[in-house]
This record gives sequence, C-alpha cells and structure tokens, in this order.
Amino acid sequence: MFFPISQVFTNPFVLAAIGFIVGLLGGFFGVGGGFLAGPLLFWTGVPMNFVVGTDLAHMTGKSIVAARRHRALGNVDFRLGLLMILGTIPGIEIGAQLLEVVDKTGQADHIVGYTYVFILTVIGLFTGLESIRTIRKKRTDRLPAKDVLGVVRTERRSRLFNIPPLIKLTVSGVESVSIWSIIFIGFFTGLLAGFLGVGGGFARLPMLVYIIGVPTHVAVGTDLFEIVISAGYGTFTHSLKGNVDIMIALTMLTGAGIGAQIGAVGTRYFSGPTIRLMFSILPLIAAVLVLLRIGI
Amino acid sequence: MSDSSPSPPKQDPSLQPLLRSILLEIAIYVPIVATYFWLILRFAGDKLASLYQDSLTLYAIAATLAIVIQGVLLEVLTSWLLRRFGLRH
Repeated sequence: MFFPISQVFTNPFVLAAIGFIVGLLGGFFGVGGGFLAGPLLFWTGVPMNFVVGTDLAHMTGKSIVAARRHRALGNVDFRLGLLMILGTIPGIEIGAQLLEVVDKTGQADHIVGYTYVFILTVIGLFTGLESIRTIRKKRTDRLPAKDVLGVVRTERRSRLFNIPPLIKLTVSGVESVSIWSIIFIGFFTGLLAGFLGVGGGFARLPMLVYIIGVPTHVAVGTDLFEIVISAGYGTFTHSLKGNVDIMIALTMLTGAGIGAQIGAVGTRYFSGPTIRLMFSILPLIAAVLVLLRIGI
Repeated sequence: MSDSSPSPPKQDPSLQPLLRSILLEIAIYVPIVATYFWLILRFAGDKLASLYQDSLTLYAIAATLAIVIQGVLLEVLTSWLLRRFGLRH
C-alpha cells in the first residue's frame, strides 16, 4: 500500500503487527516502546525524519487505549500524573536544546548513544537485581510479593524529598510526598526524552516505584497517562514540522489498540516484582539496539 | 517496604481465561482492521496528503485529533466487544 505523505510503499499488515507488539509492551509495562518501534519502522522503509514523529503519534493513540483500560482497573493516579507533567514539558524543551548544543560538536550520535546505553544498562540491572531480590525474599520470608520492595525507597532516605509542600497520593497509597520530588521525576525523564529522542517511560516507571513508592500497577497506569500528554504534545509539534505520517500512525494503531488492551489486562495476572523483573529486560534489549545503531 | 497500598487488582493464577479472551479478541479484530484499511485509509489518504501539502498547521490539528479519536474509539469498541461476548477483562 502506498502512503502518500511519506511517499512510502509498505505492507499495512506489517505496520499493524509492529503496532501490536509495541502496544502489548506498552500496555503491560507502561512504556511508549519508541526504542523498539523506531528501528522497526525504519526497517519497513519509513524515512528517518518521519520515524520519530510518526512513532510519537501512534504512541499517543496506543497510550490512550492502555491508559483508559488501566483507569478502569483503578491503576491511574491522575494527581501524580498531572504534577509530573509540570516537570516533563520544560524537561523535554531543555533536553532538546541540550541536544542542539551537543549536535554542534559533530559527535551527537556517539554522545547521545553512549549516554542512552549507560542509563539503560543501569536501569535494567538495578530493576532486575531488585526484583530478583524481592522474589527471593518472598520465597524465604513467605511474604506476598506485592508487599515487598527489595530496596529502601529514596524518599525515605533523603530529607530532600520532604521539602514542602507535601501532598497525599490517595490512589497510589502514598501518605506524604513532596510535590518537588514528583516534578523532579517529570523534569528528569522529560530531559532524557528531549535529549535522547525517546518517550522516557523506561526511566519513569522505576523512578515512580523506587523514589516515590508507587505500587507497580499504579506506576504503569500513571506512566501511560503521562505518555498520552507528552506524546500528544510531541505529535503536534512534529506534525507542524512535517515529520508525521498520520496514515502510518493510524495503521499502526489498529494493531497497537488490541495489543495495549491485552497488555493492560495482562498486568492483573502478575505481581509487581514479576512485572519489574520482566521490565528489566527491556532497557537491556534497547541498549543492545542502540549499540548496534551507533556501530559497535 | 510497601508496594501494596492500595491493594493492586486481584490476580488470577489461571491464564486460561486471558488467553481465550486474547484469541477471541484477535478473531474479532482482524476483519475490523481489514475493513478499516479498505474504507478509511483508501478514502481519507488523499485528503490528508493534500492537507499536508497545503497547510501544516491544519494538518497538525487534524493529525492530533485523528489519533486521539481513533484511540478512544478503539478502546470503546474493544471494551464493548469484550462485554458483548461476556469475556473476562
């Protein structure tokens, strides 16, 4: 089928299949899946300038499907999500400016690539080791997996995270947390998104769990709500620059819609530590893909 | 350390109902997707392409609205189908 906006001939069922796979991951782990969808879209022949914008557009629609499903399951903390957005949007803008500065050095691909690989590896290893520790603890102490976290929440370790104003997150079951720590997470993940050209969900999920103490299921749902807003903003700005083939995004969304639904429902069948253990593999796969892309 | 409050959704140790739901939902979805390709993309493609050429501002608004509306409609449709067929979700 011919897609006149990007001038590409490609099979729509392949696009829907890519959407399905990425949607499944998104619904289950609360990530946008840009690290996977981007290379796959490029592989189908979509020009690189259309890849990022089109991926963001499909990510918006897919996250709407998954976030609505998670909301029905009681997994979305709107207060937390809206506060994070206050940090995310300026974070994205500053990250994009930082990228332009780095771009002038002529080494942007390598600097961004190595930064990305470092962050992905740290997140993957930390989340993997913590969840294995938690699952072992569950076996030895006979505690339900949902009741344990293998590390001490950062918020409990540092006074920095108790700077007023403090708020209660009812849906997340967090009694008291500083607004600034939430905005900081939004800002930091937005900075990564703007600098690395990714959604940032891979960093947001572990930060919500380990820093704020949000239950894994609620972190997944809230992350998806956040992605709807940030990816929607990205879709609009990239469309203005002519970098979105909406026909391709709509086609991918037909597959992503069902994948996201299945992924979201699938979270009911696994405990928080098991979801985190499976999640920990994603950043490591992404790190390998990035290394391959920058020619290691 | 708590990863428990509020209690996460009830977990079902059996994956069988989920797998049955997945298979049925895919079976329902394939003809819908095929019809969608034929009807919507075939007829809307040229109009969106000309909008892309003529005005990027209008195109950006149309693209954002289209993806949001399709996302909402897909979720409503799949949820309705699941309820209609009495499947677990």
